Amino acid sequence: MNMTAIPYWLLQILLIPALSPFFIGVTRRLKARFQNRHGASVFQPYRDFWKLFHKDEIISEDASWIFRVAPYLIFAVTLVIGASIPLVSTALSNTLTGDLLVVVYLIALGTFFLALAGIDTGSAFGGFGSSREMMVAALTEGGLVLSLLTLALISKSANLTAISANIGSLSFQSFTPIILAFISFSIALLAETCRYPFDNPSTHLELTMIHEAMILEYSGKRLALMEWASANKYLIFIALGANLFFPRGIADSLDIIPVMLALVLLAGKSLLFCVAIAVIESSIAKLRIFRLPDLLFTSFVISVIAIGLVN
Amino acid sequence: MLDFLSSAGVFDAMLAVFAAGAFGPLLLRHHDAAANVWSNSLAIGGSGIGLIFSGVALLKGTVPAFGADSTLPLLSFSIRIDQLSAFFMLVISLVAIFCSVYALDYVRHYYGKYSIGVLGFFYNVFIVSMILVVSAHNALFFLIAWEVMALASYFLVIYERRESTSIRAGSLYFIMTHAGTAFIIIAFLLMYRTTGSFEFGEIRDGIAAASPLVKNAIFISALIGFGVKAGVIPLHIWLPSAHPAAPSHVSALMSGVMIKTGIYMMVRIYLDILPGAYLWWGLALLIIGAISSLLGVLYALSEHDLKRLLAYHSIENIGIILLGLGSALVFSSYGMTTLAALGLAAALFHTMNHATFKALLFLGAGSVIAATHTRDIEKYGGLIRLMPQTALFFLIGSMAISALPPLNGFFSEWLTFQALFQGVVGFDVITKITFIISIGSLAFTGGLAAACFVKAFGITFLARPRSEHAAQASETNMLPKLAMAGLALLIVGLGLFSGMVLKTLAKVTGSMANLQGVEADVAQFRSVSIQNGFAETSMPALFIGVIVAAVAVTAVVAVLTRKRKTETGPTWDCGSDLTPRMEITATGFSRSLITISRGVLRPSSETEIEYHDANRYFPKIGTVTMGLHDIYRTYIYKPLRDLTTLIAAQFTKVQSGNINVYILYIFLTLIGLLFFMDLQS
Amino acid sequence: MAHLNQQTLLVFATLIFAPAVFLHLTNKNTSAVRLYMVQSSAIAALLILSSFDRFSPLIAIAIVATVAVKIFIAPYFFYGLIRRHQLTFSVTKYLNTPVSLLVIAALLALTQSQFFDALAVLSTSGEKLLRLAFATILISLFLSINRKGALSQMLGILSLENGIVAFALFAGLEQSPGLQLGITFNILIWVIIATVFASMIFRKFGSLDVTAMKKLKG
Repeated sequence: MNMTAIPYWLLQILLIPALSPFFIGVTRRLKARFQNRHGASVFQPYRDFWKLFHKDEIISEDASWIFRVAPYLIFAVTLVIGASIPLVSTALSNTLTGDLLVVVYLIALGTFFLALAGIDTGSAFGGFGSSREMMVAALTEGGLVLSLLTLALISKSANLTAISANIGSLSFQSFTPIILAFISFSIALLAETCRYPFDNPSTHLELTMIHEAMILEYSGKRLALMEWASANKYLIFIALGANLFFPRGIADSLDIIPVMLALVLLAGKSLLFCVAIAVIESSIAKLRIFRLPDLLFTSFVISVIAIGLVN
Repeated sequence: MLDFLSSAGVFDAMLAVFAAGAFGPLLLRHHDAAANVWSNSLAIGGSGIGLIFSGVALLKGTVPAFGADSTLPLLSFSIRIDQLSAFFMLVISLVAIFCSVYALDYVRHYYGKYSIGVLGFFYNVFIVSMILVVSAHNALFFLIAWEVMALASYFLVIYERRESTSIRAGSLYFIMTHAGTAFIIIAFLLMYRTTGSFEFGEIRDGIAAASPLVKNAIFISALIGFGVKAGVIPLHIWLPSAHPAAPSHVSALMSGVMIKTGIYMMVRIYLDILPGAYLWWGLALLIIGAISSLLGVLYALSEHDLKRLLAYHSIENIGIILLGLGSALVFSSYGMTTLAALGLAAALFHTMNHATFKALLFLGAGSVIAATHTRDIEKYGGLIRLMPQTALFFLIGSMAISALPPLNGFFSEWLTFQALFQGVVGFDVITKITFIISIGSLAFTGGLAAACFVKAFGITFLARPRSEHAAQASETNMLPKLAMAGLALLIVGLGLFSGMVLKTLAKVTGSMANLQGVEADVAQFRSVSIQNGFAETSMPALFIGVIVAAVAVTAVVAVLTRKRKTETGPTWDCGSDLTPRMEITATGFSRSLITISRGVLRPSSETEIEYHDANRYFPKIGTVTMGLHDIYRTYIYKPLRDLTTLIAAQFTKVQSGNINVYILYIFLTLIGLLFFMDLQS
Repeated sequence: MAHLNQQTLLVFATLIFAPAVFLHLTNKNTSAVRLYMVQSSAIAALLILSSFDRFSPLIAIAIVATVAVKIFIAPYFFYGLIRRHQLTFSVTKYLNTPVSLLVIAALLALTQSQFFDALAVLSTSGEKLLRLAFATILISLFLSINRKGALSQMLGILSLENGIVAFALFAGLEQSPGLQLGITFNILIWVIIATVFASMIFRKFGSLDVTAMKKLKG
């Protein structure tokens, strides 16, 4: 690793945390527009985090060190994942932590501690939030792993950056499995990022809470970290969807022009994803919780079909 | 020096230490403390010798083989410790050391109530019989060691003999293990019939001449026989009641190591002794593994007894090991020996990992149960403040079993996934579908296991105490914490040094008759790459990455918010009055998952309401009992039992109750046979 | 066994066969036990004589064990049983004495007949001995069938075991000391357990007559 790569590596590590509040803001604004509201500025989440970092904190006396440590750990996990996925260049390949299973299980690590933090305060909300979250997470893993596996089998490598490099150079024949895998992946995306129809990210009713319930007791800087980690996860999944399934435009070297171009294209694709997600969120209702497994199993079955079509 | 360490003398010394550890407590049985210290220290000593012996044999690649002939025909006490045996012996010794350290303090709960001398005797016999099981080279000697292991564990299961549940659990275990042994004997007899010998080496040389029918029969009977011991579904019904009934350190040994002896023999028979596995064997093992792992974790979700929950997780992990083993068999049947070695390495790695974290979890559970005097999770809560170190170790064990990086459980599941991934492309449809189903079941199992351990750890240790039992718990003493700390360090170490362990396992698989070494390279940063770079990961990098990121985030945030205050206050709970009953319960936590899988689990719910008045308008007390129907007893074991009873009832017609008549039967048969023999010649 | 002449062996064989027949004829339990001791002494002597050509410490231990168990320990247990429950007489039989003697004669004739010519395969010189040993076996078995008292049945089984050991010795079959030791150990445990059971049964049923134990049926 030579010295010229260091700025690019810094970019890779800091890109996700830097941009994720922006895309959250974009999604919220689009949803507001659908609801005939003006909507807050797309930079509002940055201001929210700034506000939260400047507030004092109150921690429940029933909470243990897990409650205090969890936000840092979860945020750190999203940083590690963000550094391992293909963002702007396939030359920034990371064979140490860039394996698809590593990414999936790192996400599971974050979810594990999030659920524990929800139970830790002993509030009436955190417990059931953790229960619902673990239920959704457990059932999503099948579809997520298999959809990424489809891509891995097509590109003959399980490293995410290598997948990104190989998928871009394929013919149209492998189109069908990729599209099927993409459908499966998007269902998993909605589940993991707590969007409709799985969860309402801006609800105040416990009936519809999953993620919100677990972080209900957090305040101040820890709440900021939790929200930011959730935003990171959102952008990670969008970036994965953009760069794994439609990787054209990603740079394959470390020269400034292709990288800048790839950055712009990534932003553009992510915006398209945000639009799509906003449209989906505004047009369908949240599903009753016992209807969710059907949807997740559908995702699983679609992936199975996709793998079956890989030759 | 190293050659000496793996010689027959050292092995015999180990046996002698265990023998002293077994018979000493019987002599000291009137002095509880002395018997306890004697038996457990000698168990530690013997396991230590076993650890050194097997470690040296594994590293040097030597194959110690020795034995003694007995005066009886066909039986020879021959021992041969090849790489596979050495590996299992290493796992057994390692776990036994920590369990014995734990036992030094834990057994004090039994002073004055039950006989410590008997406990020490059977404990040492149990450990040494397990070591003999994995090192025996003669089928009859193996069966003797197997039976001794079953008997010793039976007596340990019924150790708390004044509890009727223990006796029932022991009886069920006894019957099931002997039913399994019957099938094992059938398998060995089939081998004897074809090759004329009970020595494993000679069987290996001669079994190629057997017909496919014989080989299939051996496969099926070995599968049923060793499956009973390993606890595959549907032969598992003894496991959830037997493992909790034993003392905690014995449960740790039984769950972590004893069920692996079933796996050891499956590997030995299918991949070492029998040449040329058939395709359907591997597919059958994959299906069984998939079903076992999914059902095991689903049943674990519904359990509220902490030890039964852990017992069901053992079933789940055996399923995962079988997935690795099944893939090895499938690849072996196609002649792809490196891939088969990968599957086997994954299975063996998971065996070792599961032994470590299951032992840790059982020891932690033992401490919790001893401190709170109840096994019901619903009575726990808030123990993390009262038992902080136990909570930390239990957390490490929970993270390991949920396959979270960067601990060892993640790496062995990663390896299993890699082995399964290789089986998807380029095979025929049935194989492909089976592999895809296996991958799906492994993915779901991982998620469900994490859900179950969030529940187990969260309800037990976090939030507020839910009962008086939990409110007055206190931390355990130094020795149990030492044992648990040792296991936790081992878990972290195995995770960090996965590459090195994989290299050793590659040697183990390479030493087996039909396989070669795993195609895994360990490059810089200790990253492991499989199959020429199809998949690559580095456990140390993960570990360091997460820790560095966490530290960096903490530091940055601390600097940025150094002027902020942090207060503690009561839980907000949206401003409502928080009562102790408002915490999540274990039943509530898992009920949604159980409801989703109600087709498989058959949950039941009974409501009883006591009314104030005769018209039943005003309820007084309502009770809801939620449970699961035991479908195995209803659909498999009860019909078998009824059939057996029916057939036996027919045979009572022969029984007149008079001894003389019975001897007359023998007499007449003897005379009849003599006439028959005479007519023949 | 080859170094002993046929006459000596025939004497021993008779010493083994005759007690089996006389067991049918005795009425007192104490004389039955004494007959068993005679039979066991003959077996022990045979073992000692046969070990002369192939001596090893293990065989010596086996012989000492056999002598100890069969001649001293087992009769000791039986005398204890007789004394404790006053089981002096055991006349209860299914077939009366003349008829049972007829059956014994028939069994003897059977063993001497052509049906047992196959035994010649085992040892051409000692054919008569083998037939006698086998007759011992059959007659002891018949004792267990004919007698109703539990003590007589136990003695019948022990006499059967003596007959089998005699058969093996006469046929020159492989006598591994491990086997002998195992059998002796087995007999010892059997005797201990049987006497304990006999005491228990006597306490419960009031007698050792098996017909009184109707409640065991089914």
